[in-house]
Formats: sequence, C-alpha cells, structure tokens
Amino acid sequence: MEKNSNSTRRNFLKLGLAAGATALIGGGGKVLSAVSNPEPASKETGEKVKLLSPDGTLVEVDKGHCHACPATGKEARQGIPNKKMVMVVDLARCRNARKCLEGCQSMHHLPPRIEWIKFFLLRDSKDTSPYWFPKPCFQCNNPPCVKVCPVGATFKRTDGIVLIDNDRCIGCKFCMAACPYSSRVFNWGEPEQAALPEGKKYSPETSWPQKVGTVGKCDFCPDMVRQGILPNCVTACPNGVYFYGDKNEDTVTNGTETVRFSELVQQKAAYRYMEELGTEPGVYYLPPVNRLFDYKVGFQDLTPEEVELYKQEANISE
Amino acid sequence: MEYNNKTLKNYEDFKPQLESIGKYGYFFITIMVAIIAWGTYALYIQLSQGQVVTGMRDYVIWGIYDANFIFFIGISYAGALISGILHLMRVEWRHPILRMAETITVVSTMIGPSYIFLSMGRLERVWHILIYGRIQSPIVWDVFAISTYLIGSFIFLYLACVRDLAFMRDHPVGVGRWRNSIYKFMSAGYRDTPKQRELLNQLIDLISIVIIPLAILVHSVLAWIFGMTLRPGWHSTIFAPYFVLAAIYSGTGVLILVMFVFRKIYRLEAVITKNHFTYLGLLLMILGALYGYFTFSEYLTNWYGSVKWDMEVLHRLFDSSTYWWWFFFSAFLGVLLPIILIALPRLRSINTIVFAALIAVTALWVKRYLIIIPTLETPLLPLHDMRPEFANYAPSWVEWSLTAMGIAIWMLLFFLFSKFLPIVPVVRVNSADERDYFKLRKLAKDRILRRMIRKNRHAKKIVASVLVLLFLSSAVVCRAEDPLRSRLKLEFLNSAGTRMLNAKLTSKKDDQTVPLQGMQVSFFVQGAKDKVLLGKGTTNDAGKATFTLPGKLDVPRNTEGKYSYSATYEGSKEYQSSESSADVRDVFMNLTFSQTDSAKIINLVAVEIGQKGDSVPIDGSMVIFYVPRTFSLLKIGEQTIKGGHADLDFPVTLPGDSVGNLPIIAKFEDNENYGTAEVTATIAWGKPLPPLVVIKRGLGDTNAPLWMVYTLIVLLSLVWFHFTYAIITIFRIRHLGKIALLEEQSHTASN
Repeated sequence: MEKNSNSTRRNFLKLGLAAGATALIGGGGKVLSAVSNPEPASKETGEKVKLLSPDGTLVEVDKGHCHACPATGKEARQGIPNKKMVMVVDLARCRNARKCLEGCQSMHHLPPRIEWIKFFLLRDSKDTSPYWFPKPCFQCNNPPCVKVCPVGATFKRTDGIVLIDNDRCIGCKFCMAACPYSSRVFNWGEPEQAALPEGKKYSPETSWPQKVGTVGKCDFCPDMVRQGILPNCVTACPNGVYFYGDKNEDTVTNGTETVRFSELVQQKAAYRYMEELGTEPGVYYLPPVNRLFDYKVGFQDLTPEEVELYKQEANISE
Repeated sequence: MEYNNKTLKNYEDFKPQLESIGKYGYFFITIMVAIIAWGTYALYIQLSQGQVVTGMRDYVIWGIYDANFIFFIGISYAGALISGILHLMRVEWRHPILRMAETITVVSTMIGPSYIFLSMGRLERVWHILIYGRIQSPIVWDVFAISTYLIGSFIFLYLACVRDLAFMRDHPVGVGRWRNSIYKFMSAGYRDTPKQRELLNQLIDLISIVIIPLAILVHSVLAWIFGMTLRPGWHSTIFAPYFVLAAIYSGTGVLILVMFVFRKIYRLEAVITKNHFTYLGLLLMILGALYGYFTFSEYLTNWYGSVKWDMEVLHRLFDSSTYWWWFFFSAFLGVLLPIILIALPRLRSINTIVFAALIAVTALWVKRYLIIIPTLETPLLPLHDMRPEFANYAPSWVEWSLTAMGIAIWMLLFFLFSKFLPIVPVVRVNSADERDYFKLRKLAKDRILRRMIRKNRHAKKIVASVLVLLFLSSAVVCRAEDPLRSRLKLEFLNSAGTRMLNAKLTSKKDDQTVPLQGMQVSFFVQGAKDKVLLGKGTTNDAGKATFTLPGKLDVPRNTEGKYSYSATYEGSKEYQSSESSADVRDVFMNLTFSQTDSAKIINLVAVEIGQKGDSVPIDGSMVIFYVPRTFSLLKIGEQTIKGGHADLDFPVTLPGDSVGNLPIIAKFEDNENYGTAEVTATIAWGKPLPPLVVIKRGLGDTNAPLWMVYTLIVLLSLVWFHFTYAIITIFRIRHLGKIALLEEQSHTASN
C-alpha cells in the first residue's frame, strides 16, 4: 500500500490529476472499467466534486474516486509514514464565506447541520477589531480527547492526524468534554447521509459513513493525502485562507501558492490558538493583519439573527 | 443453634412485614411498576431513535443522566462510609440502622451506573471497554472502581445479614417455600459456633476497613472524570475531596429519610429512636458545614482569580436569568438550612431533621446538575448556535421518565428487600446493647403490627425489549445531457526526454466547466503535406487524454524549427467537435549538481535541437526550479538561461526524505517555443528527516504508562485479595456449620 501510494503521488505530480487518478484506479484494480469504458461505471455516485490539479485548474471528478483506497484496520491507526500534516490558516484573508464548510460537507457526505468546520467572530479585547476565525479540528499533538477515550476509538497517528473509529466508539462523549476547542460533534440521531457504495469498507480515514451514537469531527482528509489531493476545504476557499501540507517537507499550499511552512509561520508571526493549554495544536493561525476584507463583509450571507448573535459574542455594540 | 426468647419475640414483630405485602404495599408496587413500565417505553424510544430524543446536544453533551449517576453513587456512601465507620468505632446505637445503610449502598450502586449506560450513544458496544480498554482513561478507572465497589458492598451487606439469614432458616416464614430454601442456602450453614462467630466478626471488621478507602476512591475517580478535562468549573484540584464530602453529605441525608420512612411504615418507633435521628442529624450538620466550606473555597478561588471562563461560569450561577435560584437553593439553602435546623436544640426534632435531610438531598441533586450543565454551556470558544436546544439544555420527557424509573426501581428494590429480610437486624452481635434493644422492643405496639398481615400474591416481573434499527439509503442521480459545445486544449509535455501530448476536453454546463469522459481524441503532427495521425486516446474522468510520442518523429519541421501538433475531437450527438494545436521546438535539458565548500549549486544545461540535429544553446528563456511535494510543486527559484546554462543556489534548509534525497525539477512552463519541458534529478542534499520518535506508554497511546498499570494492579489486587479471603472464609464457615450439624446429630443419636 505504501509503495503504491508513493508511486501514485509521483505520477500525479508528473502527469497531473488525470494520470494520477488512472494510476490509482489501476492500483485499486476495482474500478478500472471507469477509465476504459466510455459509459459511467455503476459504482460511481454520479455526484461530482471539484478538485484542484497541480497545474492550477479546477477539475471535477466523481466523488467515489476521492475515497479510492483509504487504509483500513490497523494501518488506518498507524498514519502515513514520514508525514506530519499541518495547516496554516491566514486570518487576514477570511471573510466568512463558508465555502470550506460546504466543500467539507460535500466531500464527507454530511447533512447541512453537521458542521466540522466552525466559524467564530473573535475579538480579543474591546479596543481591538473583530476578526473571523474559521476552525477545523486542531489535530493536537498532545490531544486531550485521545487521552480520555476509554476504548481507543479516537487515536493520534504518526502523521499527526487524530481520527475516530466509528466502529469502535461507544458514544460516551468524554472526548467532547475533554476537547477545549469544541471541535467534536455527536451523531445524536441517525445521520442523513449517503450510504457507502457497495463493496467499500468503512475506514476511519474517510469518516464515512457517520454512525448514530458516535462522535465525528474534521479528519484532515488522510485518504486525500494518500493520493496527493488537497482536501476540499482548502480548494473550496475563494481566498486561499487554508494552507495545508506536510511539516516534514516544510511545505504548505493553498492550491495556488506553495510556500515553505517555516518561512510562512516565522515571517507572519503565526500562533497556535490557546497554546497555553498545552495541547500543541497542529493548526497555525496567521494574525489578522493587513486584512483583505472588513469583518462586516462576513455578515452579508447571514440571517439578521445570526448577525445579532455574532455581534453579541464579539461585544460589537453598533 | 439457640436463640434467646427475646430474639424470638423480636422476630415475631417482624414476621408480619416479611409474610405479607399489604394493601398499601400492593398499591405502592403498582405505582412503581407503572413508572418502570413508562420508563421502559422511554428507554425503548431512546434506544431505537438515538439520543436525539434527549435534551443533550453538541455543547451540553451530558445531562441529568450524569447528574443522576453522581447522585446515586453519592448516596451509596450511606452504607459504605457511615456504616463502615460506625461499625469500626463500635458506636452502640448503630445496629438498627446498619442494614438500611448497607442496603442503600447496594441498591444505589446498582442503579447509579445504569445512568452512565443511558448516557452512552452505543450501549450495545459497552463490551468494547473490556477488549479495548485504556487504563489512561478515567472512565476505565471508574469501571474498575464501581464494579469492585458493587461487589464489595454486596459482600458487606451479605456478611451483616448472615446471622439473620441463619435465624430465618431456623424460623421459616409462613409464605413461600422457595424463600425458606433461599434462606437455607444463603445462611452458609451458620450455627453460631464459637469458631464461626469469630470468623464472621473478623470478616465484618475486615470488609468495613476495605470498603472505606474503596468508597473514597470511587467518588474521587468520578470527580476526576470531570477534573481531568480542561473545562472551567471542572478542572479543579479539590474536586475529588469535594465530591467525596458531597457524597457523604447526601448519603447521610438519604439514610435519615429511609429511617424515617421505614419507621413510619413498619412502626419501628421503638427501635429507631429520636436519638438515632439526633446523632445522624448532628453528623449531617457537620458534613453540611464542611460541604459549605468546600463550596465557598471553590467559588471564592475562581472568583478571585477571575479567569475569563471561570467568571463566565460564575456569571451563569449568579445570574437570575440562568441558574441563580438553583444555585441559591443548592449552595445556600442546602447548606445553611440543615445547619440551622439541627444546630438549634429548640428547632431540633425528628420532623425538622428529616426536613433538613430532604433539603440536603435535593440540594445535592441540584448541585450535581449545576456542576455539569453550566460548565458545558460555557465552552472555551464562544457558543453561538442558532438552535436554542444546542445552546441551552433542558431535559426531555425521556430523560425525566428514565430518572423517575431509576428512583422507582430504587424504591421498589428497597421495599422488596425489606420483605425478604427484616430491615432491622434481628439477631444481635453485641450482647451488651442487646439488653437495651429488647427493653425497647417490649414497647413496640404489636397490635398495630399485626394489622398489616394480609394474604397476597407475589409481584410480577417486567421484561424490557431492545430494538436496533438499521438505516440504509442510496441515491443515484441520472440526468439527460443536452447538445453542447466542447472545448479541447492541447498541451505538449517534455518530461525528462519523454514527450507527451495531453489533450483536455471540457464543456460548459450551467456556467461550470465540466470534463468530458470517455471521448476519443485523435492526435496529429503536421507532415510535409498533410497532418499525420499519431494515435488516439480516450479521455478519463478528468477529461484528459494522453499520447506518448515515439522517440523520433519522421516529419519535417516548420520554418521556425517547430513541430506542429494538433488534437481533434470528432464530436457526438451531445457535443460539437473541437480541436486544438501546439507548436513546439525540441529541447534537451540536463541537471547536474556541484558543491564548492559550503555552497551547493544546481546546474542546468538546456539546449535546443537544431534543424540538422545539432545542439543550439538556449538564451534568455526563463526556467523555474521546483521540488515536488505531497500536493504540489514547491518553487525554490527561477533563472534566466544564458548561453545554455542556468545555476541556482540550493536552499540548504530544505528537508528531504529519511536519507536526505530530494528530487529537483527544472521546468519551462508553457514556453512559446518549448511548451512544457522539464527534467528531474535527485540529490541527497536535503536535510534528512529525523527518525520518528514514538513515545510508547504515554497518556495518548494504546498502552498506559507503567506506573499507572502498577498502581491499578496493586490497588485492585489489594482489594480483591480481601474479597477473595472473605468469600473463602464464608465457605469455611459453611464447612464448620456442617461439622457442627453432624456433631449435633451424632450426639443426639448416641443419646
């Protein structure tokens, strides 16, 4: 599996997404017909999803292919070798467009009310200006959620990703109590979600399908990383807020810009949210300086009630 | 085994309550069974639909189930701590209330944990704790602690019942043969021989000692479930002793209430005297004062420190629009009222003590609610959910029903137990206080007791059924395509000498560019006269078709020295035809690396292939250097080629793979002359990845830190050693009983 995904990656980089997907499908061996057969294969979901190819153009591929070959079982608990996934969120670019959330929900087949990315209007003090704060799971390096799990259903991997095994989770919600960042959500009822296509096995790497009575959260899309494809939240953002990449490669990208991780976080004085809690998050924030948008732009797609609530939280009086 | 007349007479008074349930008893059972039936329906609803039927949501993830859990484990302290301590201190007045206290422990420890199960999303996976259990999790500590505690309190209760069970065996009740056989079986052949008596007394003392630290540990672990999180109002070092104290406080309160109820319904005025209420009342008062002191200390520290989140929780507690009245009841009335009522001798009476206990017990339930809910409503990041049920918690009818069900089962079990064994021990251990006891017994109103005799049938059993629903749905969307325009884009790619033609076929649909899949694209090169067909390709799901050019093309080049490639798409019923072309010159690129002192330089040689096949150095074109990364190419520099050469300083801080290998790509991008041409070479100049440091046995790992494992093993084996010893000794007592019986029989025979 490892060699396979590596060669997949190189092909992908050389030939672009098309060839990458071909190699991958060849590796999987199951959906080969999708390429050679002009008719759409029956295993396709029919739903298309937008992805960014390395040449900078958006392409649409079938959703089914995005979950082509995630690791299952013990391998899914190990992590992708030699990787350490990190994210840098540039607060100066965020205008609360919420396209990342739409992309995430589409990718993970989530109903609209299950939100793995949350948006806050933060204001550090009354003298400072409010700013939008999109928040995925922080994938902490000292994760409080993993510590307290009684059955090891949530676990930290060597590639820095914290995942949930929905087949093992007993639904005690202790991890939700332990997470100081409200990153975890619970499937209170039966999730309204597309079922897994026939013949596919559940993998914690895809977080699909969600199961009633278990916990869910942003998973940093490890199945996409295996294929060298950027997660949907990164590519869906119209402003390039999210930079995602491998810390071991010292590189992060938002799809259009690929930069050195160390240079980005050092030059722009990145910080980790509530570092003082000792959780060592894997998500870095660039301070909201020289902003592209006024924070009020973020109100335009919200209902008046939502705007009121945000203003209340951020102590905005006018 | 001989019993004195007083014991027999004493038993006569209890016989009626053991032999009949009574009119009111049946009425009570009917009501309890009705509540339990209703609760079973609520349980069915929750199990079939998920916790969506509760008031719990993403922020307030724990609700009254967890409050009930702490509450029931709290009141179980009555038996464990109070009776344990009273027994060890040889407090003379303890005897009539010991069994009630121990029964409270057993029944509460049975009911309490079931609320944790209700609070779980996947009840049917509870066995995962056994096979995947992680010792680092306080929930697993709780599983160990509570199961051990439950066993311990069963043993404790049982040991204290052995004498009465033996008595009941010797004096069968009038109804139910099966009950007499249970008495016989459970009395463990106890015949009060000196050896048996000695062993039993030893055991009771031993288990009393073991049960006290065990009980303290149980509630500490419970407090740590909250204390180990980083939440305001929970993350407190005094939480464990605070919980322990609150537990004894509520346990004493419940014991007073139980005493009061049984004193009334079984007319035990002579056995349970005002003194019992006064002593326990004074204990309640002291515990109330201590509990108040802890409460004050906790909130004062939070208020004085005035950390943002602590203040938010405090604000919720002190704001009349949220929890002020509840907080006022639990932290002010629930402490001050019992103290005042009991401390002032003028106010102190059985009724006021019972009232004080009632206040204390309800206040402590509210306190558990206030520990859980306001903290969960105060996340560290702001909470702005438009759904009111997500922002604020209100228990649903299901939660209330199951709470009522728990209380009903608790009361029913207690009541049924009081029908099985006298709720006050009949056979006394200590002969000194036996005398006082029987003096009191004479005062009991036998006449009233006898009225309670009724011939009745036994209560029926209720079975709960569990249903799991599986939900599967799939949707396939099929759409009819309309005839549309297609667009083809041809790109030339020279990758390390391999030349490829990439054609991308797309169409516009609803203002969106969509790739066309499964279409045939033909690739051509311009020959001397006509276009020469090179080959055909089928587009994949990204709309791309690829053709790899042969090593040498036998066609002339145009005046600019370029090959002229083109691609066509014939079109179909749905899409119009389209074509695209690309004119490129062949290039040859080579990457080498040179190192002088500390300077590491990447050297690129780039030449055009001239008309006669000769090499012409490239001049003035821009070449970009990349390093391939997981998702994209990382640009490390760009240079203008001069005289066929371009040099770039290697960025020395760049990490490579585990041995430092790093592929370097030099690339012309969409160059007007060369299209896209690239060359890759690998050099071990990258910083090698540091070896992965895997911390085993950390808090977040599968295996627990060794000290935790050792602590758990030592604690558990200490406790279980004593439990095992107790069980073995019970069998020894049984064996001794058999010998005594045989001796007695042979004695009678020889006579």
